[in-house]
This record gives sequence, C-alpha cells and structure tokens, in this order.
Amino acid sequence: MKGLVIWIRTEEGSDEAILDKLGIEIQERGGRVEVFHSEAVENLGMEKNDKAKAVACAMLASHGVVVITSGAEDPSINPGEKLEIRIIEESNLRKTDIHDSFMRDLELAGLVPAPKYDVHPDEEKEILKKLQDLGYLDD
Amino acid sequence: MLVSPHGGRLTARQYEGPEAEEIIEKVKGGTLLTINAREKNDLEMIGNGAMSPLEGFMSRADYESVIDLMHLSAGPVWTLPVVFAQKMGDPDVSPGDHVGLKDNEGTIWGDMQIEDIFKADLIAEADKTLGTNDDSHPGVIYLKSLSGTYIGGKIRSIRRRETESFQNYRLDPKETRVLFRARGWKTAVAFQTRNPIHRAHEYIQKCAMEIVDGLLLHPLVGETQKGDIPADVRMHCYEEILKDYYPPARVAMSVFPAAMRYAGPKEAVFHAILRKNYGCSHFIVGRDHAGVGNFYGTYDAQMIFDQFDPDELGIVPLKFEHAFYCSKCGGMATPKTCAHDNQYHVFLSGKKVRAMLAEGTLPPSEFTRPEIAAILMEAARKGDN
Repeated sequence: MKGLVIWIRTEEGSDEAILDKLGIEIQERGGRVEVFHSEAVENLGMEKNDKAKAVACAMLASHGVVVITSGAEDPSINPGEKLEIRIIEESNLRKTDIHDSFMRDLELAGLVPAPKYDVHPDEEKEILKKLQDLGYLDD
Repeated sequence: MLVSPHGGRLTARQYEGPEAEEIIEKVKGGTLLTINAREKNDLEMIGNGAMSPLEGFMSRADYESVIDLMHLSAGPVWTLPVVFAQKMGDPDVSPGDHVGLKDNEGTIWGDMQIEDIFKADLIAEADKTLGTNDDSHPGVIYLKSLSGTYIGGKIRSIRRRETESFQNYRLDPKETRVLFRARGWKTAVAFQTRNPIHRAHEYIQKCAMEIVDGLLLHPLVGETQKGDIPADVRMHCYEEILKDYYPPARVAMSVFPAAMRYAGPKEAVFHAILRKNYGCSHFIVGRDHAGVGNFYGTYDAQMIFDQFDPDELGIVPLKFEHAFYCSKCGGMATPKTCAHDNQYHVFLSGKKVRAMLAEGTLPPSEFTRPEIAAILMEAARKGDN
C-alpha cells in the first residue's frame, strides 16, 4: 500500500483528539497508522512548524504507513511517487457524510483498507436458508 | 478469508418488496427515462453489487478515465464504460433531477439521481474500448445506435424475481460469498462461458480446480448476439455434465446476468473484476476471451492482464491454451503439454460442430461427451442453435 499523510487542517492550538479517533478507525480496518501530534516535532528535535512536521510525516509515510497529523497551513512538500498527501478541514471531518466520502475515496485509491466486509448475521441466515432451498447446501 | 470485493466493499443498491414499491411510487408520476436491454442488465448488476464499486451509471470523469486509462477516476481498475444513453423521445432532464428508469413496455426497473449529462464521441469510444470502429463489430453496431449523450448518476435497482430466467441459479455476489464460506472455500475459480461445454472446457476447468478450493461455473445469460447458443441450451448441457462428472461439493453453478459487449481483452478484465466481486480469487481466461470474428489477437485477452499490478486487480487470471484430445497421448492436452502433431488431435470449430449437428451427426466423444452431444442435437433439431 502506498504511503499516505492525512493532513487535517486545523486552527492553531485546536484539540487533536480527532487525529486519534481517525487513527483508531483506520487501525480497526487493519491499516498501519501513526498519529503524529504537534509535540512530536519538538520531541524529534525539529523546529515546531508545519513544514518540519510535513517533512517528518512524509518520511514516516514513505514506509507504507498512514500518518495522521494536523496543521494550520497546507504541507508545502512534494509527495513524490511513493506518497500521497490528502488534506481535509477539521470541521468537514466532523460531518458524517463528508467523513464517509473522504474515507471511501481513500479506500478506492487503495490508500487505506476498506472496513472488513461481512454480511449481517440476520441476512447471512436468510441467505443460507435460500442456498439450502436451492440445493446449494445440505440442510 | 475470501478475496475482498473490488474497491473494498460490495455496493448494495437493489431493492424489492415494500422498499421497491416506495421507489416506484415516488417516480411513477414523474420523469421516466427508457433503458435498453444492455442498460437493464447493467442496472441489475450495479444494484446487486456485481459491479462494485460502481454506484450508478458513469459520469464524465469516470467515463473518460475508463476509456483513456482503464481506471475509475477514484483509482480502481475498470476497463469498460458502464453508461446510460439518452434516448430519442425521452423527456429533457438536467443534473439534479431524480428520474425513474423504465423499459420499453413501461415497467419501472429503478431510479437515478442525475449528476451529469455529457456528449461522448462514440467513434472514439469504439476505438478505445473495442479496438475498432468497424461496422461489422456488434459492439460498434450497438454504439452507433446510441444518441451520443450519456446521463450519469447513482441508481437504485428494483428486483422483480418473478420475471427472472433461471431462478434456481440466480445468486448475487453476497450470496455466492456466503456459499463459498459455508463450503469452506477460501479460493474459487470462475469460468465464464457463452458456449456449451465441450471436453476442452471440462479439461481446463478441472486443471484449475486442482489449485483452488472450488469452481464457480458462471454462464453468461444476459444479452448475446444472434448465432450464440441460447442460454437455456447451455444451462441444460451444464446441468447434465454436473450430474456425473464433477464432485458436487467443489462446484457451484450460477448465472451471470451480464450483457456481452464483445470487447475482447478489455472485457476479459471486466469479467474478471466482476467475478472478484462474487468472491472468486481466480478467473479462467481462454484464447480470444469475449472476442468476435477476427477483431482480436488470439492471446490479446490474456496479455492485457500484464498491464496491471496484480494487487490492483485482486484476482488471478489463469491463462489457458485451447485444449484437445490427443490420440497419441490418450487424453486431453494443450500445446503446452502435448508433443504430438495436429494429426493426432481431435479439435472441431464451433462452425464445424453446428454443421455436424445440422446434418444429424453426433460430434465424436473425444470432443463432446455423448450426453452433451444429445442435448445439442435435440436443440439443433428444434432449431434452437
């Protein structure tokens, strides 16, 4: 899977809990995720600015990891061939329909795994019954 | 675990019962657009998830991306347009309109939320998707019958089981997936056919069965061209051969309600992707798959798969040579496995078989099992092929 940086555009000093929430969602789908909080840049001994953050995230993501981070500015780096950077406004990510369509686009581009596909147990029961009635399965 | 659907999940846009009634109620007094036979097949397959990740007829971005780049605009591989053409005499519509979709008899089969209306260069589409704009190609004839304006948007389809042929063999992708799981299959190979089964097909299917858990026989029963053996005759042949020659627990037969486009290589990829949605991990690609006349090279439909990254396809093509009975080998073989000259090979063209049947001559048992020959003979006698 190609590396991906999800760059959530936020106001300066905003709550970064939304990063963790998105990280858990992708992890539950089976994706390899790193959530890159603002203080991580400092912990790495880099300058605390969006450019430095973008560079660090890009390096991490180029190993095939989904990196989720936030910034007030757009990440002004060239993603290259092994990396995609997708930007979304924090306010939009909080809207269910936009969140779902953002995630679906990432799935279709092969950047995050789709939710584990499964038929609802009630529907599966009905299908099994139909398959038995049609002779595909023994009773 | 079974292979994931194309694009990650199966779309589910097919309705029946009270939900279908509600859709009909909403659209019947409003604008109704007419769908032709191919579009009706497509509508059904978008609705039941066979064409996942499509959620409707293509808008311009997907259409152009597919014919130019063989990918949907969002990324997944997709090799043929799935489009809805504006029809002469239908009311004018605009993006944003909600319309019903009806057949020529007025029966409503679904609805569409129109997102895009666009002009298409049908000659360019023919060249890019069919590899020709020759008027004798059935796909070109079809394209040239269209208006040149396409209407794109998400659909909902209505299932009318009472009108369906082969009701005992109608399994949607989620149903074949449940079936494979219930049988303990982790891998399955799909065999697509629009021909009756001869020994060569049986040999290829059984070779493939050696490396996977199960076989999905998936005869195409959507619209085909005049001259193809009718679907009921083909199905009868398969029913007969399954009785005695295949282990029942390792084979499932279900119909594939797609229309033939005769697009050769691009249709081979299209057929493979749709079978991935049915839960198949492998797909048999024979010589000149989905071809017609001499429009495609013998191996074009196999070579096209090399243009894609295996991960983005997500289904493994099993490429087979034509098979024959070799009297010197004393069994079925292909040019890959047989060292002997053509003089030892029993191989008949479809034309030759039809001529033999018309004369009342049964094809040799090395070519067609006697049970199948008898069915074909009976059909020929009745004028069904």
